Amino acid sequence: MGHGVSQFTEQELQDYQDLTFFTKKEILYAHQKFKALAPEKVGHNRNAKLPMSKVLQYPELRVNPFGERICRVFSSSRDGDCTFEDFLDMMSVFSDAAPKAVKAEHAFRIFDFDGDDMLGLQDLRQVVDLLTKPQRLSDQDMQHLLQNILDEADLDDDGALSFAEFEHIVDKSPDFANVFCIRL
Amino acid sequence: MSGGGGDRKKKSWRGTTGGEEAGGEFYQESYPGGEADMDLALPRDPHHLATLLPSKQNRNATTKHPRRDSRASLKRRTSTRSRYQTTTVRQSTTQINDIQLSMMPDLSENLSNEERMWEEIMLIKSMPISMAQKKEMKAQLQSADTFRLQGLKQFKWQRRKMWEQFKMQWKETYSKLELWKHSLKKIEGNFGTGVVAFFLFVKWLMLLNLTISAMIVVFVVMPTVMLPPAPAPPSHADPCSVFISPDNQTNNEPVYCCSTSYKLVKNRTENETFIDFVQGTGWMESTYVFYGVYPDKVLLSDLLNYNLPLAYIGIALCYFLYSLASILKGSARGFKERLIEGEGQFYHYCNIVFAGWDFCIQNERSSVIKHKALYNEIKGSLEAERRADEKRNRSREERFKILMVRVIVNCLVILTLILAGILIFFAFSYSRSELEKIEMVEQIPRYYSLLLEFAPSMCIVSLNLVVPTIFNYLVSFEQYNPIYVVRLTLFRTVLLRLSSLGVLIASFYPLLKCQIHSSDCFQESACESTPCWEVYIGQHMYKLLILDTVSSVLITFVLNFPRMLMAKHINCRLARFLGKQEFELPKHVLDVVYTQTLSWFGSFYAPLLPVITTLVLFVIFEVKKFACLVNSTPGSSTIYRASRSNSMFMSVLLVSLAVAVIPWAFSISEMMPSKTCGPFRGQRSAWSVMEATFHTFPGWVKATADFCTTAAFALPLFVVLVLSLYYYYAVAAANKHMVAVLKKQLILEGHDKQFLLNRLSAFIKQQQERHKAAAAAARSIDVPPNS
Repeated sequence: MGHGVSQFTEQELQDYQDLTFFTKKEILYAHQKFKALAPEKVGHNRNAKLPMSKVLQYPELRVNPFGERICRVFSSSRDGDCTFEDFLDMMSVFSDAAPKAVKAEHAFRIFDFDGDDMLGLQDLRQVVDLLTKPQRLSDQDMQHLLQNILDEADLDDDGALSFAEFEHIVDKSPDFANVFCIRL
Repeated sequence: MSGGGGDRKKKSWRGTTGGEEAGGEFYQESYPGGEADMDLALPRDPHHLATLLPSKQNRNATTKHPRRDSRASLKRRTSTRSRYQTTTVRQSTTQINDIQLSMMPDLSENLSNEERMWEEIMLIKSMPISMAQKKEMKAQLQSADTFRLQGLKQFKWQRRKMWEQFKMQWKETYSKLELWKHSLKKIEGNFGTGVVAFFLFVKWLMLLNLTISAMIVVFVVMPTVMLPPAPAPPSHADPCSVFISPDNQTNNEPVYCCSTSYKLVKNRTENETFIDFVQGTGWMESTYVFYGVYPDKVLLSDLLNYNLPLAYIGIALCYFLYSLASILKGSARGFKERLIEGEGQFYHYCNIVFAGWDFCIQNERSSVIKHKALYNEIKGSLEAERRADEKRNRSREERFKILMVRVIVNCLVILTLILAGILIFFAFSYSRSELEKIEMVEQIPRYYSLLLEFAPSMCIVSLNLVVPTIFNYLVSFEQYNPIYVVRLTLFRTVLLRLSSLGVLIASFYPLLKCQIHSSDCFQESACESTPCWEVYIGQHMYKLLILDTVSSVLITFVLNFPRMLMAKHINCRLARFLGKQEFELPKHVLDVVYTQTLSWFGSFYAPLLPVITTLVLFVIFEVKKFACLVNSTPGSSTIYRASRSNSMFMSVLLVSLAVAVIPWAFSISEMMPSKTCGPFRGQRSAWSVMEATFHTFPGWVKATADFCTTAAFALPLFVVLVLSLYYYYAVAAANKHMVAVLKKQLILEGHDKQFLLNRLSAFIKQQQERHKAAAAAARSIDVPPNS
């Protein structure tokens, strides 16, 4: 840990602590993890921008079917490349301490592939495909599944899930907060 | 855009939106002048109208713009305070939280004070914007003019800030102290949250036992060790030596003599350190582990008189209540979740899709399996739905056949349980009678008697191994759905485990019964030679605990570990079939719950048993970790969900607590404690100590308590309870009805909205076409004169 201290001033750490769900120690630890992804680059410039392929080396992201999508959502340049601050944001949202509402907000953005602020059929189909790959559900099963999801959650019957509807499901889902977690 | 695409598709499915033929004139009348605005606001695609609705606007304001806009324009946006306030409004609606509610923008006050500013800074972290923007916002907030708080307010704010900081600090230290953090993360990475829930449960149980141990050590063991007992009654010149002889049965000796005789009996047994350690006899028996050595006297010191018997029973009562409270607290959470789940069988598919992936998984292999498991679960659910449809169409014959199979299987299960009970009973009585014979002869090798000593325990342990397999096999005939199968098997196995324990406890009873009627200290001739039945029970529980732990260690390391190696390294189908193992959650839960039941039941007769259990659970955690990480292949065809399993653990534990407490309560209230040992020697029952203490209370307490037990008090109380129960039931029913009504209304509103949107877009299209036609007509009119 002592090594990391030199890279941040006390003020910066305080800022990060105020703006994330982490304590200062955890922030330094997160930085270590970030550094481990590309030691030479980050050693040089602590806020270096890592390409998405590097960020995806992070164990939890590597195996996550939504890994790329997560990088894109949190990347400040929208192309999946992440600076340390983006990484910290990501970890903060995925931490235990982040409230359900914050997690829901980001989950919605992750699942919303086309970025139209609605989870439409296309988005849902993509989510299911990523979840079950390499197998694929047959067209009939997929149709059936999507219909079931919409029956359950689409309260206003417009054929897509709005954020409010999504949040409602997540609120009722006993598992969501447990599952949407990456421990540092 | 997919939202629009969805609209179209949905329409084609439902086909509910009719009445398109009603012309656009109606709208023109009801919205005069709106047309021009609409044209401005409308994008090319009329279906995009939906995103313009106010309900969608809120979110757009908070997430879309900062995401899409360049940083330069963001500066402008964040500098105007209004944008931030819309965020606050949304936050407060989404999260029902006192702090958040107090954050509702108060328009009467333009300048914020320090506390508000601080609160707002604390809120930034939950906004979905990038760190640079967050930093900017923070700087903005800090540079804005603020009121300094005065006096009390300032003090309160400082205190709040300090409290937050303290909480932060505490979190940091706590995370350092947290036990097994690393192991848990590793398990989670390999097996997902469902299995981790089991390990958290083991940890929770260990902490529960630690608390119970602390209570016992502080209030029972420490005083016994530290304080000298009250002086013995004026010494006789060892009159007791007379009474020990078995033929002296008519005498009703004083308790004191019985105690002496107990000591003598203890000294008779030969010293064999290891065997005694395993059995809890000999030198073990005279340690503080067992009930026997605790004195029945008030302990004296310079400062206080310590009534040990009272403390002994009081603490037992306390820790049972404490266990009950913590289970209830744990299961209340689970129960709420279950209720939600019950209502939302409803959200089954959403739960699979949106909460299906464990984001904590970090291992390639388990991610592959997770993908497969999710695929199977989706398939399975769809299949189950189809099967439910089929079931409704099932013919009467088929239904009858399945019913018959189920009845037969249930009969078999009950038969197995009864057989198991009989087996345990016979093992117990056989070992008793054989042991007696041995004591007569005294020439049989020691290991044989050890084997006999352990016969009932071994019988139970081996039944626990074999019978669940039979149940697993039987349940496959019954054609239940997979979730129900898991529950049913678990329920049956719980029944087996606890009933076998029950049979054991019950078979103690005749043994003790004959002692109660004897007036002697103990009778070697009439009954079995148990000088102190409480210690005897304690020893049995201790033995079971030890044996159970040893067997689970052995099974993990000696049996399952080589199996795993075999499956891994021998490339043969048979070897793989024999060696491959999954981490079967229900089985492991039962192991742990069983241990806990032993600990609860035995803790009265062997006060240090909870301490041993704490250690055992620590070992078990490591053993199970090994079983999980090394022996098992990750993931199985069934997905264990954390929420589902947690409520399952707690309900099983509650049953086991009942199984432990009921015999205990019976024994302390009805059975006469042995006269030779323990804190209750010479009492009618252990509970009578409580009664005696109660009689020393001041008169009004007694009067109140007496009144509480009369019908005059109980009956009205009962009525009030029933009434309040009914009231809550009625409220709940009304709420349920309201929810249904609101849901219906919501759907209707949605339909209305859809209808209006469709009409609007159709109208706009019509308008555009009309414009185009008009323009074309104008052109066609304009053109000819020109040419």
